[in-house]
Amino acid sequence: MTEILGYAFMQRALIAGALIGAVCAVIGVYVVLKGLAFIGAGIAHASFGGVALGFMLGVNPLLTAVCFCLATAWGIGLVSRKAQVREDTAIGVFFASTMALGILFIGLMQGYQVDLFGYLFGSILAVSEQDVGITLGLGALVLVIVVLLFKELLFVTFDAEMAQVTGVPAGKLYFLLMSLIALTVVLSIKVVGIVLVSALIVTPAAAASQLTEDFRRMMALAVGIGIGSAVGGLLLSYALNTASGATIVLLATLAFFGAAWLSPRRRVGRKRGTA
Amino acid sequence: MTERTSPIIQLDQVTVAFQDVLVLDEVSLSVPPGSFLALLGPNGAGKTTLLKVILGLVRPTAGTVRVFGRQPWDLDGERSRIGYVPQVLSVDLNFPVRAAEAVLMGRYGRIGLLHRPALGDRAAADRAMERVGITDLASRPIARLSGGQRQRVFLARALANEPDLLLLDEPTTGVDPAAGESLYELLRQLHQSGMTILVVSHDVGVVASYVDGVACLNRRLVAHGRPAEVLGSEELAQMYGCDAMFFHHGRVPHLVVEKDG
Repeated sequence: MTEILGYAFMQRALIAGALIGAVCAVIGVYVVLKGLAFIGAGIAHASFGGVALGFMLGVNPLLTAVCFCLATAWGIGLVSRKAQVREDTAIGVFFASTMALGILFIGLMQGYQVDLFGYLFGSILAVSEQDVGITLGLGALVLVIVVLLFKELLFVTFDAEMAQVTGVPAGKLYFLLMSLIALTVVLSIKVVGIVLVSALIVTPAAAASQLTEDFRRMMALAVGIGIGSAVGGLLLSYALNTASGATIVLLATLAFFGAAWLSPRRRVGRKRGTA
Repeated sequence: MTERTSPIIQLDQVTVAFQDVLVLDEVSLSVPPGSFLALLGPNGAGKTTLLKVILGLVRPTAGTVRVFGRQPWDLDGERSRIGYVPQVLSVDLNFPVRAAEAVLMGRYGRIGLLHRPALGDRAAADRAMERVGITDLASRPIARLSGGQRQRVFLARALANEPDLLLLDEPTTGVDPAAGESLYELLRQLHQSGMTILVVSHDVGVVASYVDGVACLNRRLVAHGRPAEVLGSEELAQMYGCDAMFFHHGRVPHLVVEKDG
């Protein structure tokens, strides 16, 4: 098993994978606690349109995916805030239309066989040097923003209304959080795949939430589970010759069930509102 | 209303409509400093909306609002003079946060972006916790608090800014009657120390024995005055049912133990 670490593509994939596991887990904590899982899935599917556009224009698909995902994230936020449309309805509309655009773009590139499969389900072999650069750059950006605005993001996630009342710019932070989700999706799709990236965002954080009632500890645990799943999943996918995204996500899912089984929170009747 | 004690809250003909639904209809209300006012009304009467207007979260469709003499969405520095205790059920009660951190959040807006809480902020949060008697619960996750304890955490969060005006939305929801009484006892102490308090409730019986003013809201302001006058009045019983609620609650025996304060 150790000789595979000598391959340049494997080193690239492991570096990218570890960072992706960490960033997804950090953002996942907010997604899970704020109930944004469906938004994550919607933004992830929107990236398909961006990837297809990139192939059509002949630029790195991750760059076009960034624009697509950010536009979708803001679109969902704007439509559900300004128009009288429920958030899940807005997601449903954007989710389908951006996928449709992607399919349209692919249809326009007749005869050109692209490795879309790699983008849909993740492929360690497909991770280029440039992709690692994009992943590192975006990942560092997301983490720096989270560190700088840690207390505000915590407050807005816990109680957005109270945050606004006390002068924290809750509205802007909501759009920032949506943007961070979009960036996290894009930096993850090469390794995890469009279809599965929202699972890697949600699952480690969900597992961590079973194990602790402390926010920082939850984030630390989620990062551990995320990195473990990503690195372990990549090695396993190489050994078993399976799609990397699926292997990573299934490993994270195992961690989730393990955590749920171990959970001290499997307590009696701890529903909201018990006095 | 005299000029020398300018009101802390001043609502003039405030109307709020969501789409075509009229939620508040020309409500005028003036709260002078040092008041302890209960805003009563049935569910759907617009009580929470009125609080949100005062907090600057909802802008009136018509009419004017002034809080500390300014528009509430434009308060800037005055913002931290308002303490707010929202309805408990407005947040996820299983959120992984400890009581001390939840209280400290009350100061995050004042601390500002990119700054860490200073010693002074932590000290203010500690004082607020001490004031409501939850110092021993500081490291407890909020999921492991009783309804009454949790309400005290939210009260301490509001007090962490050392506000001059305290707004509470149904503070006794999900709180057992004894804890509810002691919460109001605490509010009375805060009032005696000079704080202006506005509490929204549908629990007329309990509130009436603590406050010095009652305003009844049912989309319009139905009555406003001292508890005895308002809750006994004939017109109120007809227009709104405050009275009926009062007697209903009156039949439930409850004991108020007064501490020397």
